[in-house]
Amino acid sequence: MIPKNIEKQLNILDYALSSLWRRRLKSLSVLLVFAAVIFLLASFQMVTQALTAKAKQLLVHTPEITLQQMSAGRQEAIALTYSHQLAEIFGIRKVVPRIWGYYFDEVRLANYTIIGMDLSEIPGNALLDTTLLSGTMPEKAEQGKVVVGQSITKSLELGGRLTFSLFRPDLSLKSFEISGEFAPDTDILSHDLIVMNLADARDLFSIPTGLATDLCVYVTNPQEIETIAKKISAALPGVRVLTRPQIQKTYQVVFGWRSGFGSICLLAALAAFAILAWDKASGLSPEEKREIAILKVLGWETGDILAVRFWESVSVSGLACLVGITAAYIHVVYFAASLFRPVLMGWSVLRPELQLLPRLAAGDILLILAFTVIPYLAATVIPAWRNATVPADAALGG
Amino acid sequence: MIVKTMRPALVFSILLCLLLTVNGVLVLDSRLRGQDEKASLARLETLTSGLGLTDLAVATEARYTRHPAVSDMMAPFMDHPGAIEHFPTGTFWLPPPR
Repeated sequence: MIPKNIEKQLNILDYALSSLWRRRLKSLSVLLVFAAVIFLLASFQMVTQALTAKAKQLLVHTPEITLQQMSAGRQEAIALTYSHQLAEIFGIRKVVPRIWGYYFDEVRLANYTIIGMDLSEIPGNALLDTTLLSGTMPEKAEQGKVVVGQSITKSLELGGRLTFSLFRPDLSLKSFEISGEFAPDTDILSHDLIVMNLADARDLFSIPTGLATDLCVYVTNPQEIETIAKKISAALPGVRVLTRPQIQKTYQVVFGWRSGFGSICLLAALAAFAILAWDKASGLSPEEKREIAILKVLGWETGDILAVRFWESVSVSGLACLVGITAAYIHVVYFAASLFRPVLMGWSVLRPELQLLPRLAAGDILLILAFTVIPYLAATVIPAWRNATVPADAALGG
Repeated sequence: MIVKTMRPALVFSILLCLLLTVNGVLVLDSRLRGQDEKASLARLETLTSGLGLTDLAVATEARYTRHPAVSDMMAPFMDHPGAIEHFPTGTFWLPPPR
């Protein structure tokens, strides 16, 4: 036996759904637009959440401190002799020079990221071979050996070949032999990488001996990162000191609603709801007013009419929310956010196979609801309340 | 025909249940994908520490969106005096906090 109050609400819900079905074309249009707006907002939220979470998980393993030489507001090569000054700072475990940069392939119009370093120097290098699909990482003594990412293999169209050449700045060719290839599931870090030893990178970019792109500083106690960073800043005034917490913080804010694309998504949603709210708040249609008047003549109370409008709004917005969020999840996980790729990757020629797995928290869903369902409820129930309080004979024109 | 004789609230509930079932299947699939992700996460962590990486390789068109963590806020405007930022990915990524 259903309690009387619930039975009444079920009957009102029946009436509300029949009313929506009677105006099915209009209801379906509202539902689709509503779902599309929620899809846009939820997709953006899921992509940024997945990328931010991935960065958060991975960047705890970056070097504790990275040093870059700055000159006239630009990054320049840093002197290896700084290592001697750094050796005097207590708490520094190791200083590893690194040469890295971008190689623009003029034939394929692609940017490759070249990293040159003595891998044996880096703490945590022992398992690097496990990140490869095939082959091994180049040894310090192995000249001309490189490990490449998946996009590099595709871009260079190597087929079965293991050798390729890149141009030095003086346009002479430098040959390389591929000693390994990164596994596809590491694409989000490695797809555009060509990793080689320090001497090869120095030769390729023609960087003089005694200089490197940056210095990775490893400290003994991670609690002392900030203190050591301050000491380095004092000892080497022209050097930019980037700490691991700073790098991690970058990825906590770099994807956000304040970005141009995020703002467009948000503004599109707000504009859609402003138009909808304007349409609803400017008054009900004569048919809707007439329907309310007839219901009042038949003995319906103002509260009952409001309940009808409430259930109508909840049905439409709830269904749209469910459809929109489900579609957004499918878009992000199974289609790798393909609608956002033109903006997320822009003119990039090398594109990773993104494997995004967003984990929506209650806060994310509440944010989407706050921007969509709640304004819709307010926009539909308030005009109905205004109309329902008008005497029935006045609404019928009597 | 059966649908026509059912009360609208019941039809709506069935529709909602269908959608929730789809969501349930997606949740189960995400659990399975999460297990695969754990295996690849270990490799990604090794790669980050082994090469001292600082950034995700998502956008390769501009150095400040390829390596936002080690670029400064002036990088998009460095090409010449009065240069404006013109890469599409610049609309998705916010400048790093400094």
